[in-house]
Amino acid sequence: MSWLDNLCRTYENNSEHVGDRNDDIPLLPLFHSLQNAQVDVVLDGDGNFLRAAVVSKDDARTIIPATEESAGRSGGKIAPHALCDTLQYVAGDYLRWGGNPRKEKNESGFEDYIAGLDGWVTWSRDQQLRSVLTYLRKGLLISDLVEFKVLWASGEKLAERTKDSSKPYPIFKAVSGNNQATAFVRFSVEIPGDPQSHLWLSPRLRDSWRDYYRTSRSDSYGVCMVTGKTSRLAHNHPKFIRYPGDGAKLVSSNDSAGFTYRGKFTDAREACGIGVDITHKAHNALRWLIARQGYRDGDQAIVAWAISGANVPDPCADTFALLFGGDQDPIPTDSGYTAQEVGHALSTRIAGYSATLNNTDSVSVIGLDSATPGRMAIRYYRDLTASELLRRVQSWHEECSWLQRFGKDRVFVGAPAPRDIAEAAFGSRLDGNLRKATVERLLPCIVDGAPIPSDLVDSCVNRAANRNGIKPNSSECWEWEKSLGIACALFRYTHKERGYAMALNRERNSRDYLYGRLLALAEHLERRALSYGDEKRATNAEKLTQRFSDRPYATWLLLETALTPYCVRLSTKSPGFLYGVKREMDSVMDLFITDEFTCDRRLTGEFLLGYHCQRADLRSKPTKDDDDSDPNDDE
Amino acid sequence: MKDAIEFKVSARFALFTDPITKIGGEKSTYHLPTYEALKGIAKSVYWKPTFVWVIDRVRVVRRIRTQSKSMKPLEYGGGNTLAIYTYLADVEYQVAAHFKWNPFREDLQEDRDTDKHWHVAQRMVEKGGRQDVFLGARECQGYVEPCVFGEGTGHYDDAGELAYGLMFHGFDYPDETGTNELHSRFWKPVMTDGIVTFPRPEDCTVRRFVREMIPNPPSSVGLQEEGLLK
Repeated sequence: MSWLDNLCRTYENNSEHVGDRNDDIPLLPLFHSLQNAQVDVVLDGDGNFLRAAVVSKDDARTIIPATEESAGRSGGKIAPHALCDTLQYVAGDYLRWGGNPRKEKNESGFEDYIAGLDGWVTWSRDQQLRSVLTYLRKGLLISDLVEFKVLWASGEKLAERTKDSSKPYPIFKAVSGNNQATAFVRFSVEIPGDPQSHLWLSPRLRDSWRDYYRTSRSDSYGVCMVTGKTSRLAHNHPKFIRYPGDGAKLVSSNDSAGFTYRGKFTDAREACGIGVDITHKAHNALRWLIARQGYRDGDQAIVAWAISGANVPDPCADTFALLFGGDQDPIPTDSGYTAQEVGHALSTRIAGYSATLNNTDSVSVIGLDSATPGRMAIRYYRDLTASELLRRVQSWHEECSWLQRFGKDRVFVGAPAPRDIAEAAFGSRLDGNLRKATVERLLPCIVDGAPIPSDLVDSCVNRAANRNGIKPNSSECWEWEKSLGIACALFRYTHKERGYAMALNRERNSRDYLYGRLLALAEHLERRALSYGDEKRATNAEKLTQRFSDRPYATWLLLETALTPYCVRLSTKSPGFLYGVKREMDSVMDLFITDEFTCDRRLTGEFLLGYHCQRADLRSKPTKDDDDSDPNDDE
Repeated sequence: MKDAIEFKVSARFALFTDPITKIGGEKSTYHLPTYEALKGIAKSVYWKPTFVWVIDRVRVVRRIRTQSKSMKPLEYGGGNTLAIYTYLADVEYQVAAHFKWNPFREDLQEDRDTDKHWHVAQRMVEKGGRQDVFLGARECQGYVEPCVFGEGTGHYDDAGELAYGLMFHGFDYPDETGTNELHSRFWKPVMTDGIVTFPRPEDCTVRRFVREMIPNPPSSVGLQEEGLLK
């Protein structure tokens, strides 16, 4: 299915969410737009002013009827919304009170607004609307607001913001800058017996506007390239898709400067036509989905959704966020939270999704980005069945999982998020563009089950092996721990066939794995010896990790020699501990096939797995008390 | 009758632009090749105004994957803008096509020799075509080789049916329809086990009038040309 078609169906399937005020960005009704209102004007049924108030910030979001032109207006263009708008349009006395001072042509847009509203009132014969029209025709709005002390005038002009703090003018808190004339007005009409006085909440008016607007447009009919049916075609396509204020459009047809369609076609309408209902529904749905469940990083937005409206797992989340929504209490690190438990939690979670999704339900993933402020591109689009997506997300989280240490409160077993992988792979070299590109490259690995690009894996492994100059327990140390966990996860995913376990495997005798174990043991031994001397410096093993990964044999000889003084120190302080580590080292040595030990070939990422497993294994053992150490019972 | 050819076309990139994304300049590809693009490839392999290529089927051999690239398209007035194009990456298709005479070129009636054109087409497929082959956009250079349609394993062999919604099929050019109008055609493809069977252009039900276009084929008199056979 095409993306526009899918979005449009999503809108139709979720029509019960239209105008839901619980949503951050509500699913907008057709031909409506979202604005922040500052002034609420209350009228009676006959068009008389009753009262007015400044709208509080939490209540400001207002769904207003809009035309294609008004929703996309910018700069000084006069294009009134249908009902609620700024003082410039709705107040007949705007110019009299000193509005629009900088414009050469002093114009307000009031006439255009009234003409538009008049058309709607005549068509709908709605009493509430008529009341607004009757009142506004009097041209006394600003005067009334000033008299009612909602706006502040000094002399015959609207006042600038005053520094006098003894007079707290609430309107200045609401409008941006000093200009009261930019205030956005919405209307309530109180008619006895009508429970809904707030016009912007009235479903009847929403439907009325939709129907009126459809009939009022001077339309071009044609074949819609999404549905294939003859319908009214859109002149303009909505913007504000990824966030309020986002000017980029997905479909723009005003291009006359680039070599896009000229030649075969003479204007954009020949090249493309989309039904006006279709494009509005699709864009409204996309906007709603991105705010509700999308991943956004600057201009990049990625969202996965089910056409039916059921919840789907976010492909850009790490396992922790997927399982606990990211806001669960941190898991206690030493409670033995195992891969098995995660696996179980994951299946439960996926089962939860599949309970609300049919296996054959259609699920789409779209990735958007823009290179210029005005246009937006589809960087990624897939559509697949729900069961496929769930299966792939689950296998990603299972197969690309490792013990991740993202900070004190974020230790979990699972797969890292694409964004974290990008950071692990590129470190400080990562800028916004590279991060977005990397996230986009990883998306097919999760959604399509494609292999991870090998340069990313290598880069992660190299960065994890390079830990020179990192002080223990510093913030850099956490960063390095994070990149180590990610490197292990990626390496494990890339070599699924080798079946690496997350626990220490004492049978595995591949060279890289064993060398990793040796490094962890050396580090452990030295760290303990240093702690007796109360020394905080990095161990030789830590300092030489990079070199060790390049020339393991030669470096190991160095490391082993350097361990001698520490062994001496430990043999008096903690002989039991020393014995245990030495024995473990010997058992690792025993597993080596001789030639492989002496070979000085570069280590692959596998050594990180050996290192990580061995280290985790050493840490999980209860720390022996130094005094009662007896070589014979220390195991 | 011997009028059919089969060939394999492969490329690193392909851009079968979704027309909705074309007009803004941020081109994004369809996941399947369009009829018109494949017809263009067949024409690059071998073509004469005597006949019209008809694409019967296409088989998607490799996994459909996309890759987006940052571009700097030129502007009319010089300079450039920035855009992001989304391409299909690493594509391979098997195409089955045949030719039929163009009834609106009666001046070329003498050239309607099925056996001749079929043999030339065969030879041209073996050579990789007469002209540059590109998939959807000029920067997506492709390579044509002979093949047997359906041979070898494909990524979608057991994928069942996949529907793709409304998609561009091709243009009705005046030199092939005999009218002075340009139309674009649409259809709803369904890929069955990796194979898309195209409807004939005249069987497409969704048609969009684009504009008037007057065909202006070069007039030829074929063998009647003066002095040619002397």
